[in-house]
Amino acid sequence: MKATNNYYDMVIIGGGVVGCAVARELSKYKVNVAVLEKEDDVGWGISCRNSGVVHAGFNNKPGTLMAQFCIEGNKSFAEFCHQLDVPYKKIGKVVVARKKEEIKGLKELKIQGDKNQVAGLKIIDSEELKRLEPNIEGIAALYSPETAITSPCLLTIALAENALDNGVSFFLNAEVESITRLNNSCFKIITNKREFTSSYVINSAGLYADYIARMVGIRKYHLYPCRGEYHILDKNVSWLINHLVYPVPQVGAGGLGIHLTPTIDGNILIGPSNEYIKSKDNLSVTSSVMKMLSSEARKFLPIISPGYIIRSYSGLRAKQAPSSEGGFWDFVIEESDTVDNFINLIGIESPGLTAAQPIAKRVVEIIKKKGRLNSNPSFNPFRKGILRFEEQDEEIKKTLIKQDPDYGEIVCRCEKITKKEILEVANNPLGARSLISIKYRTRAMMGRCQGGYCLPRIIEILREDFNLAPREITLKGKNSYLLTGYRSNEVSKSCQKKKLLSLEEELRV
Amino acid sequence: MMEREFVCIICPNGCRIKVEYEGINIKSIKGDECPKGKDYVKNEITNPLRVFTGSVLVGNGDFSLASVKTSVPIPKKYLKKIGEITRQLKVESPIKIGQVLASNLLDNNIDLIATRKIIEKNL
Amino acid sequence: MPEKEVIIIGGGAAGLAAAVACKQKGIEDILIIERGDYLGGILQQCIHDGFGLEKFHTSLAGPEYAQRYIDQVKEKEIPFLLNSMVVNLTPQKEVVVINYKGLQHYRAKVIILAMGCRERTRGAINIPGARASGIYTAGVAQELINLKNYMVGEKIVILGSGDIGLIMARRLSLEGVEVIMVAEKLPYSSGLPRNINQCLYDFDIPLLLSHTVVDIEGNGRLSGVTIAQLGKRGGIIPGSKRKITCDTLLLSVGLIPENELSREAGIVLDNITGGPQVDERGQTSVSGIFTCGNVLQVHDIVDNVSLEAEYIVEGVVEYLEGKLNKEGEINVELGKGLRYVVPQRLNRIKDTIFSFRVNQPGEKEVLVFEDGKKVIKKKFLRRVNPAEMIRVKLSSLELEGIKTLKVKLV
Repeated sequence: MKATNNYYDMVIIGGGVVGCAVARELSKYKVNVAVLEKEDDVGWGISCRNSGVVHAGFNNKPGTLMAQFCIEGNKSFAEFCHQLDVPYKKIGKVVVARKKEEIKGLKELKIQGDKNQVAGLKIIDSEELKRLEPNIEGIAALYSPETAITSPCLLTIALAENALDNGVSFFLNAEVESITRLNNSCFKIITNKREFTSSYVINSAGLYADYIARMVGIRKYHLYPCRGEYHILDKNVSWLINHLVYPVPQVGAGGLGIHLTPTIDGNILIGPSNEYIKSKDNLSVTSSVMKMLSSEARKFLPIISPGYIIRSYSGLRAKQAPSSEGGFWDFVIEESDTVDNFINLIGIESPGLTAAQPIAKRVVEIIKKKGRLNSNPSFNPFRKGILRFEEQDEEIKKTLIKQDPDYGEIVCRCEKITKKEILEVANNPLGARSLISIKYRTRAMMGRCQGGYCLPRIIEILREDFNLAPREITLKGKNSYLLTGYRSNEVSKSCQKKKLLSLEEELRV
Repeated sequence: MMEREFVCIICPNGCRIKVEYEGINIKSIKGDECPKGKDYVKNEITNPLRVFTGSVLVGNGDFSLASVKTSVPIPKKYLKKIGEITRQLKVESPIKIGQVLASNLLDNNIDLIATRKIIEKNL
Repeated sequence: MPEKEVIIIGGGAAGLAAAVACKQKGIEDILIIERGDYLGGILQQCIHDGFGLEKFHTSLAGPEYAQRYIDQVKEKEIPFLLNSMVVNLTPQKEVVVINYKGLQHYRAKVIILAMGCRERTRGAINIPGARASGIYTAGVAQELINLKNYMVGEKIVILGSGDIGLIMARRLSLEGVEVIMVAEKLPYSSGLPRNINQCLYDFDIPLLLSHTVVDIEGNGRLSGVTIAQLGKRGGIIPGSKRKITCDTLLLSVGLIPENELSREAGIVLDNITGGPQVDERGQTSVSGIFTCGNVLQVHDIVDNVSLEAEYIVEGVVEYLEGKLNKEGEINVELGKGLRYVVPQRLNRIKDTIFSFRVNQPGEKEVLVFEDGKKVIKKKFLRRVNPAEMIRVKLSSLELEGIKTLKVKLV
């Protein structure tokens, strides 16, 4: 629903998985909602850069929102993903003890899990661990069958697309600069692009939620960036593990320890590390941590070798606990007690992904307490993603190519992504067109050649089919251009020609 | 006085030849094992020649660019200028290998010949 | 399912030479399957000259070299498919091909793998730092510049002094762009001496040996890299870090034979070469699947690729004629000083060309082939370099009756 004069009933600041989940929940009602996201696409803060784990809930202190929402979220996650056409796999987790002293920790986790009513937890011995994970070294483990994996990025994108479909407006590259209260008690939100007014503000700005809160004079929140680096292993070695493999968490650590996560796409992640850093923007990978990750991983899986690593990346956690303290503080999901109708979502770290929908529902409850929300009868919970060519069986592939020859051109050789899929996602309803946007939606460039084959082809598609000038093709929006322009001073039409598909002489084939 | 070691490229032996020189005046040559090597380093100091390679734009071809080279090695000092000129050129398809695409560049009898075959493809 | 005599996967230098050799030897039913929209593979983007010195006794640019074979393919009417990707290969020699006309199965009596290689990436060598735009592998930059008429940057740092990095240093300079330096982590360059002369020295581009990139900066586009000097054991020398302002980083840090299809077909690979283990006929561990070119071992000179292709086609012919006897295979043992040897297995029935690379640069080395204590052949090598593949032929006579074979440097 387009608002008049940029007035929206609710403005959500931050298009991460939680912000988009809130947007979707609100779109079930007859309200005007806008999501303001400072990056070129949704999810580029914390949401797309974590392990993608749907936690069972035994890591969280009983009685906390984290525990409550994790359990609730875990139970309904399969259905959640099904509605949004997002991949989900319940592969289970083992928390592995390698030393006798760690068994106590396992037992404590089990007790905590039982208190939280996590289903199916059991402590297993080394024999059963060997059965479940032949390549892992350990003396005992906690087995959690309810832990699952998903794609946090596809989930964020799906939530956004479904919310969009149900009437929510999304504004990308819109960075909030100031928020003031107007006489009529509405908020005036000024961004680098334009101004908005709204009755409610939902602050789901992730790492910057403290910064946004401060704009309206709320000073009590502090969020510290805690970086986690990962290695991604080649799909060729995905046979190494069958479940999520975690170490016994160290008391007071800021994270859950360096673990091995099979991803929904068939890679294995090693990580994340745990390092409080100064800048909220710093997504670098560091040499010391990369080395440490490899050696930690080898403690569980001695056969891991550097040759298996295809890429490394890092993500940031928004931690409320300062580095001197470490550990986890509970989620803060509340209307401000000083600023009416300003709802803060603070410190959404693990299990934030699992808890996304319960958090969103809580936000709606908070709003409902303040005033009636009328149901939107045309709300459609279902969203369909693009068709993944590689996942279809042969007969369907043949039919698809017949209907649309663009399915017959494989652009990403490593992940077998077709031109049609690239075209579809580059045309996504959010209008995000950077290479990373395409990558997250299709997996192109995520294979072992890291774009070596497909990058020039994707550039051609963006130029020919979307008429982007060379300088407009970016890695991740803003000034991350790939090309400085054309090589020669004269740009000829032949450079803009549509690539001619020819099979050439089939002769006597 | 400059000293430089060249790896001779005339034959697979790849002799390492040390040359002492000042500007284009050669003081001494050591390490050469045949007269060709001596000539090679002499030329490298006094008048180095190179084959320039580059690309020119092509209209209506199956490739957007036709790769080119100078028909003969040219003085090294002209390489960058020829590069600049090449970038401004545009030709039409079809193109045969060896076809002269530009001639007498820099008024110095420098020709650019095509090194890629281009077939005409109308849009 | 259509059945062919020979299917060649890859229409680059190796595939083209193999196809022409097959036709010349009387094989009629050939099909080349190429994923790009042109024949010639990587040669089409290698617009510099220096190709063909051995084969054609003249210096050709890459596209010219390719055209010599493309012309023969067309003259001899050898069928080929473009824009067609082989997505699956089975040990029963069936391939699944996808192109815009559909999905098609083919079967063949012989498959020749000629897929070439891909480049090693930043992720694979763990360069720390930011994820900025403007970081390319050299081959991708080469394709964008020489085939697509784009320019990738204005101030370039190149990591890796292999031939591709050196060639790109020259290419960028000729295109009017500033190449600040080439950094090489080893204490010697892995490129041909000719290229160091003509690509770096000619353009006053400094070559920093024993240096590597240890950090990358840039909020969107790359804004700079940090280089550092490495000590003898590969550790960073303290105090040697230096920040270089640049907007582009080109990586030329190695080539990896592209053997995903081979892996899927269960073909045994050599860990060092990255390519299939073969016998002296170029046959892999799967009967009827042969291989040649960069997918077998990374070559430096394309003439050797063509020679290798022609050579293994002799084996293909023998196989099709049912004459491929195995008198008892022996493994070729690798002795000291050598990084790898191809072929890895021997049947001792024919003249065999051995290709190998040494571990370290050296001078006045002797290559020894021995069977136990008996020396079969010695070859004096004036100068050796890991960057230059060495090829030595042993005749069937010299190989007759040997029980084992070990190759080493003394």
